[in-house]
Amino acid sequence: MSQLLAEEKKRITPKRPRDYVTWAVAIAIVAGLVWTAVTNENYRWPVVFSYFTTQSILNGLLITLVLTAVSMALSTLLGLVLAVMRMSHQRPVSGLAQLYIAFFRGTPVLVQLIFWFNIAALYPHISIGIPFTDISTPVNVNAIMTPLTAAVVGLTLNQAAYMSEIIRGGFASVPRGQHEAAESLGMSGFTKLRRVIIPQTMPSVVPATGNQVIGMLKETSLVSVLGVADLLNSAQSIYARNYQTIPLLIVASLWYLIMTLVLSVPQSMIERRFSRSTRARLTPAATSAEPGAGQPVPATRESLL
Amino acid sequence: MNADGTIVARKLCKSYGRHQVLRDIDLTVAAGEISCIIGPSGSGKSTLLRCINGLETIDRGVLKVNGEDFGYVEKDDAYHAVRPKRLAQQRTRIGMVFQQFNLFPNMTAESNVMSGPVLVKKKNREASREQARELLAKVGLEGCGHKYPAQLSGGQQQRVAIARALAMEPTIMLFDEPTSALDPERVGEVLAVMRDLAGNGMTMLLVTHEMGFAREVADEVLFMDEGIAVERGDAREVLGNPREKRTQAFLERVL
Ligand SMILES: Nc1ncnc2c1ncn2[C@@H]1O[C@H](COP(=O)(O)OP(=O)(O)OP(=O)(O)O)[C@@H](O)[C@H]1O
Ligand SMILES: [Mg+2]
Repeated sequence: MSQLLAEEKKRITPKRPRDYVTWAVAIAIVAGLVWTAVTNENYRWPVVFSYFTTQSILNGLLITLVLTAVSMALSTLLGLVLAVMRMSHQRPVSGLAQLYIAFFRGTPVLVQLIFWFNIAALYPHISIGIPFTDISTPVNVNAIMTPLTAAVVGLTLNQAAYMSEIIRGGFASVPRGQHEAAESLGMSGFTKLRRVIIPQTMPSVVPATGNQVIGMLKETSLVSVLGVADLLNSAQSIYARNYQTIPLLIVASLWYLIMTLVLSVPQSMIERRFSRSTRARLTPAATSAEPGAGQPVPATRESLL
Repeated sequence: MNADGTIVARKLCKSYGRHQVLRDIDLTVAAGEISCIIGPSGSGKSTLLRCINGLETIDRGVLKVNGEDFGYVEKDDAYHAVRPKRLAQQRTRIGMVFQQFNLFPNMTAESNVMSGPVLVKKKNREASREQARELLAKVGLEGCGHKYPAQLSGGQQQRVAIARALAMEPTIMLFDEPTSALDPERVGEVLAVMRDLAGNGMTMLLVTHEMGFAREVADEVLFMDEGIAVERGDAREVLGNPREKRTQAFLERVL
């Protein structure tokens, strides 16, 4: 046996009992879950598989996706408006935005959805018209507030309150000097926001928005109470007829899980990309005499000029 | 008479809450003149400069830039603030260079320089790009146009910032300690650009701690302390042979 020199000996941390115990416990838990899932007949896996790609489930899936996309898009726009209002120096403007945010964050989404669906009880008829003219059209609120519109309106208005806070956080992350530089060039408030400030909010806003999208995807299941034929509602309609409650809930859950997992891939890519912030000083080359070797790491594409 | 490139301030006053930062400041800068503002930290140098391009508002006093009342119009009862659009228009004629450069990190150096002409003056993009190239070459940054601010050294960023301000073809350039955030070996390259600018007849008002540079290029020097214009006059006089005790004490400390 050759004797190792002390200088050449590797340094190791010997395994302790606890290192094996944690593995054993975790494996036992997972194995137990798999065992009961496989052996418990009540799961009825054949039923799950037979309904997994049924037409009405796929239709529901599509509605869930569309609802998520539409509500997210609209709430991002409204959230931007609210965020800009919230930062206004005009007290009435920022006050209104604050009121909005407090109200929509302070009440449950489910209640808001049901509320919008029943809004006709408060305002049976409204008329949309141009003020100070005779041009106006009466609108029957009951007719337009279908379950789907109520769903979009409810989800959008609620989500906008959260998006506005995210966007406001993004604005707060842009240094004051950026505003001053833009203003000293004579940029108008709008140009400054659009060309200078908003692009710089992206590293904080985009990853947070991605999380909201994933949250929204699951939140849309609430609209099933309004009778919108989304994924959950479609599953419910089927088990209302055949009483296969658990298998169909599993079908819906699996689809939600798949969609959130799929979305989490671009989400983590976005997070990684934006965490290498633009503002961070880059390679040492950037400060050395010849800055040719600096890595181009713009977080936001220069799309403007 | 053409008053382009002139600054006239009389009895400027500015307070933050109860703290008076500018007390009856008088200042005249003639066209093509180089004026330096010196003074200890917190004496109101930046505030004065920021008032002159409207980043801060003044409480009282007369401020004429390029011969016009700046940011306000004089009425019988008071000075009335102009609309944002008019203020923005007045600002386009004043270039500002900041201590922290404040380049737009989402744009390349070239786009930074083009941003004023294209986004504010709505100039032709290609012509502006050409102008940006020339300006970048003028500040010694030929071929750096495609780089983002984060890829440039402090001295390079500050030179891009100067080019960006120049792209608006201002009649006046304001500098607020343009070399204070730089590594010592980077100061020279920025001063060289400013020296060049001074030689070409640009009206310049700069806050600086570079006494050597002030002595070299400045026509006039204003020494401020606690919001008061303590001493103002010919640069060589004020820096070489100050009349006021406070100026003497300050210069002894910094030289
Ligand atoms: N936004 C502000 N709100 C309140 N006080 C301020 C504000 N900006 C500046 N001050 C105060 O005004 C005074 C003058 O500030 P200013 O920045 O003009 O000084 P300065 O001469 O430029 O100093 P320095 O050499 O450190 O840059 C300081 O006492 C400062 O604390
Ligand atoms: Mg200052």
